[in-house]
Amino acid sequence: MSAIPSGAVNVLAGDERAAQIEAPDDLDAINKLYRERRWSDGLPVVPPTAARVDRMLRCTRRARDEIVAKVAPGFGAATIERIAINAVLAGCDAEYLPLLIAAVDAVAAPEFNLQGIQATTNPVAIWIIVNGPVARRLEINGTFNCIGEGAWANATIGRALRLILRNVGGALPGDMDRATQGSPGKYTFCCAENEDANPWQPLHVERGFAPGCSTVTVVGAEGTMNMNSHCKDGPELLRVIADTMIHPPSNEYTHGGEPWIMIGPEHAEILQHAGLSKADVKQNLWELSKMPARCQSAKDLARTRDSRTQELGDIGPDTLLPISQRPEDIGIIVAGGPGTHSVYVPCFGNSYAVTREITAAE
Amino acid sequence: MAKRGITALTICSTAFITLGRAQASALGRPNLPIAVIAHPFGLRSRDEVRQMAETCVDDVANLVSKGGPA
Repeated sequence: MSAIPSGAVNVLAGDERAAQIEAPDDLDAINKLYRERRWSDGLPVVPPTAARVDRMLRCTRRARDEIVAKVAPGFGAATIERIAINAVLAGCDAEYLPLLIAAVDAVAAPEFNLQGIQATTNPVAIWIIVNGPVARRLEINGTFNCIGEGAWANATIGRALRLILRNVGGALPGDMDRATQGSPGKYTFCCAENEDANPWQPLHVERGFAPGCSTVTVVGAEGTMNMNSHCKDGPELLRVIADTMIHPPSNEYTHGGEPWIMIGPEHAEILQHAGLSKADVKQNLWELSKMPARCQSAKDLARTRDSRTQELGDIGPDTLLPISQRPEDIGIIVAGGPGTHSVYVPCFGNSYAVTREITAAE
Repeated sequence: MAKRGITALTICSTAFITLGRAQASALGRPNLPIAVIAHPFGLRSRDEVRQMAETCVDDVANLVSKGGPA
């Protein structure tokens, strides 16, 4: 069997084609090879044979050798071909390729700070949010268990991006990826917004795209904190969400971040019935989640002063620290199925979400 | 900075040396001087950190002179 290596940083910084290697026509042997060379995320892979990669590439009009981005921290070149190879490895359907190309372009935007995200000790994973018609067409789950297991597209798209970050970006745990513990989201973290259950504008429209556009948004996400509340009162619900957001050892309070809330459809309905727009929700959460600086340890407070004095002026123990610079920096999507749950997704801090349109030309 | 002709070196702690070397190489400066100091700083007093600085200051100066402009 002929298989194509997945990317090898420092060797593939330019647009050269991936070299083919000969391997036994045996799944176990291929996986042994990938395991030995650290070309996988720890799970078995689909062998990226030339035929499979070619089949994947038929779903894009872009040139095989075109470089979409240089991926930090190793700055390997993410060519269309290398993105396709890693998509095959992850088990993606060929139709997922344009979305994946847009996601790679998004993570390379300067404001996303991929260098920091890839090399940090923080557990930050990259959360992919899909909006628009493509979510339904590719069956990307935005309802029951949308960030859990079970949906092929969610699982393999998130996994493919992680493989690109490792194999092209060179972020191997313990080497250039310095995560102290990491997080399960580093295997895969992808969902659609549940636009049908969203009483407000969907995320991509809020961020300036037409309702009929398909987009991918990437978020530097520390993890997930579930909030199960049977509260039926909008303002009270916002209070308990804000109380959950307050946590002293937080990159958000230290640096001023971009926290995200994945609001369950039932909670969204309660907030809408209370007459709250999405902007109202953000404003209220921003006010209610202000935290007295004295809640932080002395050392962390010193770090906060270093990072936010220019923004907030003198910071004393009684200063109320906002979780983000501006209320509108709080990200909100509506996702999930029926149930009294919403999810707080704390962010990396020095990173801002990026949205890219998934175009036919991808 | 080195590519712009400005003398540069990196000081990094032992826990980050793999990242430092790999990234210098990826950025086209495999010979970038890197001064390595003990990790972590967390429980060290200001005086202890000062002592660490004094023990490595000559090495840092030597690396700067070796590194020179690109």
